[in-house]
Amino acid sequence: MKDFNHLLLILLLLAISACNRDVDDDTPLPDSRAAQAEVMVMADGWTPTLPYEVPKPGTYTLPKITSAGGGSVLGVDGQELKLENLFGDKIVLLTFIYSSCTDLNGCPLATAVFYKVKDRFKDDPKLANSIRLISISFDPEHDTPEVMRLYGAGFEEGDPQWLFLTTASEEALKPVIEQYGQMVIKEYDEKGKYTGSMAHVLRAFLIDRSKNIRQEYSVSFLHDQLVTADIKTLLIEDGILSANVD
Amino acid sequence: MNKMAKSQTKWVQSTITFLCVTLASVIGFHSTAMADETCMSPYMAKIVGQEDYVYVWTLGVEGLGDEQDKLVTISVNPDSESYGKVVNVLSVGGRNEAHHSGLTDDRRYLFAGGLDSNKIFIFDVHSEPGKPKLHKVITDFVEKTGGMVGPHTMYALPGRIMVSALSNNVDHGGRTGLAEFTNEGDFVAAHWMPTDEDLRGAVKAGNVADGYGYDVRVLPRRNVMVTSSFTGWSNYMMDFGKMLADAEAMKRFGNTVVIWDLHTRKPKKVFEVPGAPLEIRCAWGAHHNYCFTTTALTSQIWLIYEDDAGEWQAKAVGEIGDPSKVPLPVDISITADDNGLWVQTFMDGKTRFFDISDPFNPKQTYEHEIGSQVNMISQSWDGKRTYFTSSLLGNWDKTGEADEQFFKLFTWDGKKLNHEFTVDFYKLKLGRAHQMRFGAYALYSQKPNSTDTMLSQVE
Repeated sequence: MKDFNHLLLILLLLAISACNRDVDDDTPLPDSRAAQAEVMVMADGWTPTLPYEVPKPGTYTLPKITSAGGGSVLGVDGQELKLENLFGDKIVLLTFIYSSCTDLNGCPLATAVFYKVKDRFKDDPKLANSIRLISISFDPEHDTPEVMRLYGAGFEEGDPQWLFLTTASEEALKPVIEQYGQMVIKEYDEKGKYTGSMAHVLRAFLIDRSKNIRQEYSVSFLHDQLVTADIKTLLIEDGILSANVD
Repeated sequence: MNKMAKSQTKWVQSTITFLCVTLASVIGFHSTAMADETCMSPYMAKIVGQEDYVYVWTLGVEGLGDEQDKLVTISVNPDSESYGKVVNVLSVGGRNEAHHSGLTDDRRYLFAGGLDSNKIFIFDVHSEPGKPKLHKVITDFVEKTGGMVGPHTMYALPGRIMVSALSNNVDHGGRTGLAEFTNEGDFVAAHWMPTDEDLRGAVKAGNVADGYGYDVRVLPRRNVMVTSSFTGWSNYMMDFGKMLADAEAMKRFGNTVVIWDLHTRKPKKVFEVPGAPLEIRCAWGAHHNYCFTTTALTSQIWLIYEDDAGEWQAKAVGEIGDPSKVPLPVDISITADDNGLWVQTFMDGKTRFFDISDPFNPKQTYEHEIGSQVNMISQSWDGKRTYFTSSLLGNWDKTGEADEQFFKLFTWDGKKLNHEFTVDFYKLKLGRAHQMRFGAYALYSQKPNSTDTMLSQVE
């Protein structure tokens, strides 16, 4: 199952990359990659290139929605961390996922978009060092620190920093997800056995350096171009980036 | 199989149905049509099976019962022993001109506004779906928003509620704006409507930017938010007959629809749509980039649509009844497949069904008189159940025997409406029945509560 989900994520990234090619780019894709891209069905309405004009960073405001919640979490090495201590020094993009999620347009899409955001900033050390990505599992029973380490393998290297976190138990998780308004329903089969799937509404949160949530993304708006524009808007606000950027 | 076991089996089936559809569409991504259920925010989890309850935000009436505004909970699941009965009444203290209500994106809380008091009551509907609790009351709406008056539409955005106001505290006319609150009821931001004096970056497609407000809807896939326009406190709190006779008052109605950039909350284009365009209903289909609205005073159906060049346009595409008789179109509801539009006309108490499969050429195919007056409609996701209520505004409802106040369920077989039951809100001393929202145990992975008290039977 773990391998399957990693494959799913890789396929999704390939699909986005394949779809992301310019329309007039007729360079043939490698056979395997082309075949994979053809079978991927992206979320209805979600397109790799935003189907409308990306707002110019700094020309709009992101109101402070509420304070970002904290709580006890575990890093991939099993070390206990305070989530609130991971806010403040950088702009944070945070989401909740679980590694066995098979809904293409759920957790794998969130991870794929985070990957694209990381990719967009990685070549500018100053900006990359100002951003942190955080993926927290809401399946502590299955997603041990080791599982999260494997899930995040290949994504953690370099800046922006990308942390894959879990919690010690469902009891430890509950107060964290409640602060972010995340409702999770475990799914059981007819015999009452947990199927390994969870019903949840995918959300991602943009947190400023004052530890305030400034944007809450649904799938419709969880797009690397929009997220990048919003992050740059906060970077401009912090004086880290000039207002004359696109 | 005994009755309880049968009931539980049906509930499990209902829950599974909900979860299956939820998994396929709501959770993760909204990939299929979702339906009041058909008129809710696309960000919200949907009840696609049988709803258990309808919450009716109700105006208190002087001299009737406790005279207070109240949230009335009606059991509507045929498998329930309390089917068709009022199971809970939650009075909020005093009268506020109770009007519209809206659920948060996770459907845990119901926001309900008072157009006169400017209070917003936040009900917890998830802890016990059959017994909502008053969670919090926002009492500083005017102060927080910088002068907005009359909180109207409560519309779910991710983690937030967008509230469209109707008026302002300077002249109590129609100039107003939108306000965002968190799901917990904390103020986030205010966005004033574009006006002729301050277009806020928008362009005028017509000759006017009146700054009026009424409804709000979104099309996330096009990054579009749409608002419409009604009238201010000085009119909606005035006696209806007196207002009709007041030529100056009749000039104070909105004539605009505004297209906004949803992500940045900036107004982009102001359309001239004469005659108070009220409710907005956007299509659900992945490539249906359009919304409908109807005008109260001119009795027209308008299409707000994105043309082939990607530019948003507004066009009158049909008439409702005989506009010369001013039937006063009020609430509307689009079907989940985007092929049908229910339109209520308050004055003749009728509902009309329009075939909108060609959105540029709506055709009326059916009409039925619901009562002496009718306003709101809520239909189930599958369109088979349509609920109607009667009240428009406290001072605009009909008087005497024509002032019927009811909640009615009709089933719709695709050709005609069939009456199932009526809850008489005056007989039960509840008040004026206004907006309806659905509740279901399956939303919260709960089982039905067998201890529902049938208050309407007690009466």
